[in-house]
Amino acid sequence: MDAIFQIILSGLTLGAMYALGSVGLALTYGTMRMFNMAHGVFMAIGAYGAYFAAEALGIPILLALLGGIATGGVFGALLHLLVVRFMLGTKDFEINILVATAGVGILLQDLLLKTFGAYPFRQPVQMEGTVNLAGVTITFQSMAILVVAFVLIAAMAWALTKTRFGLAIRATAMNREAALLMGVNVTAIYLQVLIIAGMLAGAAGVMISSLSTLSPDMGTNPAIRAFVICVVAGLGSVGGAGITAIALGLIEAAIQYYIGARFGLPLMLALVVLVLIRRPAGLFGREEVIRS
Amino acid sequence: MTDSIRNNLLGAVLLLGALAFVPFAIGERYLLNEVIVFLLWASVAVQWNVLTGHAGVFSLGQMLLFAIGAYGVAMMTTYLGFSPWVAMPVGAVAAAIAAVFIGLACLRLATAYVALLTFAMSYMAYVLIITETECFTTIGGGCQRFFGGTSGFSRIEDLGFRKLLRRDWIVGNYFVVLAIFALSFLASIIVIHGRLGLAFRALADSPAYAAARGLDRTRFRIVAFVITAFFTGLTGAAYAVHFRTAGPSLFDFSTLLFILSMVIVGGLRSTWGPVLGAAIMMTLVEVSKDMGEIRNAMIGFIIVLFVVLMPDGIAGLGRRLRAHIRTSKTKETA
Repeated sequence: MDAIFQIILSGLTLGAMYALGSVGLALTYGTMRMFNMAHGVFMAIGAYGAYFAAEALGIPILLALLGGIATGGVFGALLHLLVVRFMLGTKDFEINILVATAGVGILLQDLLLKTFGAYPFRQPVQMEGTVNLAGVTITFQSMAILVVAFVLIAAMAWALTKTRFGLAIRATAMNREAALLMGVNVTAIYLQVLIIAGMLAGAAGVMISSLSTLSPDMGTNPAIRAFVICVVAGLGSVGGAGITAIALGLIEAAIQYYIGARFGLPLMLALVVLVLIRRPAGLFGREEVIRS
Repeated sequence: MTDSIRNNLLGAVLLLGALAFVPFAIGERYLLNEVIVFLLWASVAVQWNVLTGHAGVFSLGQMLLFAIGAYGVAMMTTYLGFSPWVAMPVGAVAAAIAAVFIGLACLRLATAYVALLTFAMSYMAYVLIITETECFTTIGGGCQRFFGGTSGFSRIEDLGFRKLLRRDWIVGNYFVVLAIFALSFLASIIVIHGRLGLAFRALADSPAYAAARGLDRTRFRIVAFVITAFFTGLTGAAYAVHFRTAGPSLFDFSTLLFILSMVIVGGLRSTWGPVLGAAIMMTLVEVSKDMGEIRNAMIGFIIVLFVVLMPDGIAGLGRRLRAHIRTSKTKETA
């Protein structure tokens, strides 16, 4: 019985982190058909931002967390202003943006390596200690992850569904031309979406680094999971990505407990391929595949 | 045989003829080795261009197929005592068979899904290889894991040129790699300018109309994936026999992007672009070695620069220039 509680708890923690890492990706794809290959590096940038704020500037950890999130947002804005802006509406946007963001990713990862070195720093922005609840040991950090993920995702869901700003984003996602005709500033929307995605990635990075260590390539593994989650949910489905992330987190925790950590990702991928054979556009995606 | 196929094949034969004289012009072993590396990456880039630029399949799993060829040779020579001459084509066939399965799983899906799934599969293979802990056998007193673990395979049996040509063994290797590049490049010309290329163009121009005329999109995509996988795997096998190693570093993201930058700089959707791009990128990386460790940052920067400013690469620029000259000429006559 205890084992099941432990699996559910670590599964939820994993799932919350995956959700934080993947909803931003889903949002960018949903609104602008752009898939950001640099997403994992954005996570690392957020983590290093928080580390720098706490360690070098001595800011309290809660503010340092906000600092990490803000760093992610700044890089999201830069990505839009320096790269994406010039590519919107060009031929083969979907392939070209994958290539361009992959290039941005390796460039930024190399700059991180040059700035901070490869030494695996410990993330200072985290909570120590554990609490024992009905025979199950819970670390404060995994509770913090659940809370941060819940607050950020709830805030994003509220903004998307209840505000004019969110309405404009959803309108752009549904039909760019119609939104443009209704007076929505689509270019500004794209900038805002990339800032939000960057902030979410930054938050995810801080959380992920608190469970392991900081390194310039720390984002690769979680980003690949986020890719897989977005694909199985259906690219662009934000709610679907959240639900799928939690589900896959739980499944992975169970696989790790019963079969071994090594097979977590392979079995997850096998599951994903099976799902996609039945539903080529993902679980929550709209059918857009050209049949032949 | 159409004009375009004949002209391109003729050009390719001239290039290959020129390349055949390289070992006699370059005495330095380091430089000749660099040309071998160029031929290997150019071959991978050429196949990637056929797949992405022409068949419209954006795969990020090309280094997985390359690694299947390389690991295939390494494992067959180490465990089964195969001659590398036999192991090379078998490794290529193994890559093609893997492509059938990956293709069946992914290629029905839309563009971005294909890219992400192939990328994830490649990463999965990498994780499975480096997390292997049990020893399969012991070789030379050391632990040899079945897939080589983090250290991979080393001291793979060579092609026998060290015994045959003594000090000039690298010239033997050069001609083997050149032959594989030739096969890969000539095959790409035949695919691009032949009936298959015609089908790809029809499917890219109007998927619905092409499907209505009886072209099966998924089947053509899988065919393209398997053909390019064969040559990519063959190139991987050549890599393994030339360097006599195969290891998990083949899966490095920077290697994948290095080759992608060759395709992008040369020009997607062209025929000669990737060869040109490979030559340019190899030269740039070689020159940049004097400026410290900037390889990866430079590759990333060049990719972004080209995608934003020149998405058709240098080949596309050439095409536009030719078109410009032609239109200005017709204006003059009019």
